[in-house]
Amino acid sequence: MKPKGIKLWEENAVPKHRIQWCPGCGDFGVLAALKQALVELEIMPHELVLVGGIGCSGNIRNYLNGNAFHGTHGGPLAYALGMKMANPDLKVICLAGDGDTFAIGVENFVHTCRRDPDMVLLVMNNGVYGLTKGQDSPTAGLGQTVEVWSEEHPPMVDPVLLALASEATFVAQSFSGDVKHTARMIVEAFQHPGFAFINDFSPCVTYNKFNTYEWFREHVEYVPEDHDPSDKDAAWRLVRDFARRGKLPLGVIYRNPRPRTEARRLPVWEEELRDVDVEPILATFR
Amino acid sequence: MSGQMNRVKILVGGVQLRDGVSTVTEILGRIFTRAGLFAVAMERGYASTIYGAHQYDPMLVAEEPPLSYGDPVYDILVALDYDSNPDAPEQPNRDTVLRHGAHLRDGGILLYDSSTGEIPTESLQARGVRIFPVPARKIALTELKREIVKNIVMTGALFRLLGFDGDFAYLRQLIEERFGRKGREVVELNLRAAQRGGEAVERVLADRNYTLDVRLEPRPRRHRAVYISGNDCLGIGAIQGGVRFYAGYPITPASGILEFMERWLPRYGGRTLQGQNERESIRAAIGASLAGVRAMVGSSGPGISLKVEEFGVIGATETPVIIVDAQRAGPSTGMPTRPEQGDLNLVIGGTHGDIPRIVLAPSTVEECYTLMLEATELADKYQCPVFFLTDLNLSEGRKTVPEDLFARRPSIRRHGVLREQEARERPYRRYAVTPSGISPRVLPGTPGAVFKSSGVEHDEFGFVTIDPRKRAAQMDKRMRKLETYLREEAKPPYVFGEIRGNPVMVGWGHTRPVLQEAREILLRRGITVALVHFTYVYPLPKHLVEPLFADAGPVVVVEQNYSGQFADLLQRELLIRTRRVLKYNGLPLYPTEVADGVQRALQQEGAVVRIGSEVPVKVEVGWDEAEGN
Repeated sequence: MKPKGIKLWEENAVPKHRIQWCPGCGDFGVLAALKQALVELEIMPHELVLVGGIGCSGNIRNYLNGNAFHGTHGGPLAYALGMKMANPDLKVICLAGDGDTFAIGVENFVHTCRRDPDMVLLVMNNGVYGLTKGQDSPTAGLGQTVEVWSEEHPPMVDPVLLALASEATFVAQSFSGDVKHTARMIVEAFQHPGFAFINDFSPCVTYNKFNTYEWFREHVEYVPEDHDPSDKDAAWRLVRDFARRGKLPLGVIYRNPRPRTEARRLPVWEEELRDVDVEPILATFR
Repeated sequence: MSGQMNRVKILVGGVQLRDGVSTVTEILGRIFTRAGLFAVAMERGYASTIYGAHQYDPMLVAEEPPLSYGDPVYDILVALDYDSNPDAPEQPNRDTVLRHGAHLRDGGILLYDSSTGEIPTESLQARGVRIFPVPARKIALTELKREIVKNIVMTGALFRLLGFDGDFAYLRQLIEERFGRKGREVVELNLRAAQRGGEAVERVLADRNYTLDVRLEPRPRRHRAVYISGNDCLGIGAIQGGVRFYAGYPITPASGILEFMERWLPRYGGRTLQGQNERESIRAAIGASLAGVRAMVGSSGPGISLKVEEFGVIGATETPVIIVDAQRAGPSTGMPTRPEQGDLNLVIGGTHGDIPRIVLAPSTVEECYTLMLEATELADKYQCPVFFLTDLNLSEGRKTVPEDLFARRPSIRRHGVLREQEARERPYRRYAVTPSGISPRVLPGTPGAVFKSSGVEHDEFGFVTIDPRKRAAQMDKRMRKLETYLREEAKPPYVFGEIRGNPVMVGWGHTRPVLQEAREILLRRGITVALVHFTYVYPLPKHLVEPLFADAGPVVVVEQNYSGQFADLLQRELLIRTRRVLKYNGLPLYPTEVADGVQRALQQEGAVVRIGSEVPVKVEVGWDEAEGN
């Protein structure tokens, strides 16, 4: 890693001492990994768009260089979809939380997996709504034994299974306590030609006292080297095998690019929009 | 009314999907347009079902452009429906005659499909109506062996009644264009069908000793013209105005825009997205706009309600999007296939907090085009939501429009979008505080500049803030755009007649032609009224409007909703009292009832006249009123 490269990502950003995450927040690991990955990928800040969700995690967009957009809760994937359709040359990454993605934004998650726009989604998954002081999110309960369920406390959503079922073409898992591996996943996600989803375990040190760094270190395990991520059956099997052993796989679980139609940047400038001839349209109304 | 006037009002009715009502009126509209006449078919009578409901399309044809579609009084009723079960005690398939017979003028013409038997018409005959039973379906089935040509039999019959296109030259050309590819046989079959229809009318004329007094004659064509809907016109306007990204979700009556854009945008280098829901549509449009593309969404009330949270995002992040609201009768799912002007409060008030926004409401099919050109510029310049309010009739209704309307090719100007050179000149701040309130944009990918764009309150650079001074500065900056807009852009309303000392009718949006005609009716009755009509609806250009009303007589606002949403806006902004004429029963406004309503409203201070709500309600099983989108 060239320090010069990292420095570039610290311009046009909120200074480090003003970052508003709790000391020890998992999102710091994601921030470090993201900068490392961007340097490695040689992406320039002006060609990047960071689309933040609502929540602690979405604030990451202002903590490093690069263009940023931030709208409604649950909306990042749909904004990003429009950006990529308008300009396929942009590098787009959505950075959101588990509440944003799997509760209020689940409609967008499912359909973005299907649509497969060439962009990255990194979910900082901590099982809670941190900003609003610790309510359960749809991924709450990871690793916990529960005897009975209720409408108020249903089983958790497994982001990886949901992505696989929704026809995602790239599904990976990382742990922000392992910055180097997280950076690796981000690099591979950007290199994937299509929609690349990373479920990153990013501990909430304030409100999730169960899924701590320690707990994750005990439960994560790298995807074995002989796993074939292009085989969907193998992906399902891998997730099931890990679950049976009470482990969480880290690595690329599924990767199988779909053939895609070519797309170009849409016309934007005066000279591209000049001399529009609507005669062919009028001809259909005569 | 007589033949010399070369002006005929026709109603074609039948069973939805089965009888091809709109196929017939589409053929008629195109042929009349080609013949140099002006067809206006703004009212669309259909239901939110695929099959089986009663459908009707009224059409006014004249040699000069008619002001509006006129009153529901018809010279000719064309009933395509037949009884699928003649033994059933009730004959819903005779709906066209049952429902619209009363609207046939005395001495008018009823042309109906008598394949399953003749129907009782004594009461119509008593009013001098001439009855033409033509067994179109039977002719199609038995003589021509193709049921599908039954509508061409009826078209041929209608042309004979109108004394129009006697040699079927126009019809032949249209059929050749449509079916030529399917071979000569198909063309000839259709022409034989038209011929049979004409002959069937001849037989009735001979049998019943009728004479015909209605006549439509082709006019030498002065202008090339198209027969086109409001949705299609605004689509053309959007494409000429530089819109290259459109997102929609299927909803009546905005689906036509989605279909138009899916067909045409790619040919101009653009893309159309059918969203998985209303929110994905508008969010994708915001994203496309952020990337620099002029972006537009379209929907109707229920969909607009779902998009409301994004109004705030557009306003706060200052990312321009044009939002077309093809209004229909609300609330909730309401009446999906009926017109209304009930969404004004939604688009001027929708969102928490305050945002700058501009609301335009075209008053004619032509303005769907011209005002859309304005909308594309305004959105780009003011970086705020620009709402474009049509309604079902304006969106889906069709009309003859001379093509020179589209000849004016506007040159597009990108407003305040910095290119690389300009962006490099200074440290770039996305939300720089400026006197106009407009901050220059850069597009992502522009070397030398990055932006942080956010719906969270932000400082000039775009970083999150709750600093009171910065908040106030940004709020002031955003809202100041409206002052700039009012000063530089807002147009005054249309004014017809002398306002000073006279009663004033006020309207907005698509009702203008009807209100103009109502005003003429009132003038003929010796009541002098002025008409003030708004298309630049919000923010109300107070400085232009206030002087207008300074010495006006009573102000009567006419609109198609229950509460008088525009009247409320006018009262609030101008501190004047209004009287109201309101209609919300799902039918369009008609000139004579508006004139009557205004006359009644003038009798009493604070009057609210509700058109159509005094009519006794006949309770019937809602078989044609199924819910849906």
